[in-house]
Amino acid sequence: MSKRWHPLTAEQLARAEERLRHPQPGSRIEAAQKFGVDLSLLISQLRLTPAERVRRALDASATAEMVRGAARRVAK
Amino acid sequence: MRIAEAVHALSDAGVDFVIIGGWSAVLHGSSYITSDIDFCFARTRENCKKIADALRPYHPRLRDLPRTLPFVWDATTLANGTVVTLDSDLGPVDLLAEVSGIGAYNDVKRHSIRVPAFDREVWTLDLPSLIASKRAAGRAKDLQLLPELESLLEAAGGEQPE
Repeated sequence: MSKRWHPLTAEQLARAEERLRHPQPGSRIEAAQKFGVDLSLLISQLRLTPAERVRRALDASATAEMVRGAARRVAK
Repeated sequence: MRIAEAVHALSDAGVDFVIIGGWSAVLHGSSYITSDIDFCFARTRENCKKIADALRPYHPRLRDLPRTLPFVWDATTLANGTVVTLDSDLGPVDLLAEVSGIGAYNDVKRHSIRVPAFDREVWTLDLPSLIASKRAAGRAKDLQLLPELESLLEAAGGEQPE
């Protein structure tokens, strides 16, 4: 296996999306769906490069940091 | 939390490190949000010195050490620790010499891939190994990530999903 990241080909990505859209009964993906994982989010994430995933996560983390405790502050 | 700056500081100093934990999950496509970053580091004298020098400007201190107690940040502190949990100007940074379910740095590096992210080329655990490490760690917050990570692996048909 290559030790360097490489993107999924268009065909591999299409197959991955199909598996996430229509989980096979008894699959890990179906179990995750039942557990509460939002599979549409995973589809969206798979389309991104690792650098784009990091940027998105950094934005989300910054937002979470900004609103942390906001409900408590409003309640006071 | 200045995650990217933490990565830049280590990377630009030529530190041997692998991104593990929550940010590794993010690199693989998880939507997990975390406010700290975990690195596995090579516990050689030279590497510990590079880490100490790279993070010194950000005033690292052990998280669980009272502010009033003296703390020496140097290569020896790092070389003597297996898990070093720090607070710093960059936010919480965890440095681990070993990873549950995988082993020490050389084992971790062998189970890692090189990824373009954080405006650098960084190493992170490959997805099967990240899953193994989370399972071995066994804490609720680790196990909670497994369904998502296993879905990513299965979606890509067991290939390294990107």
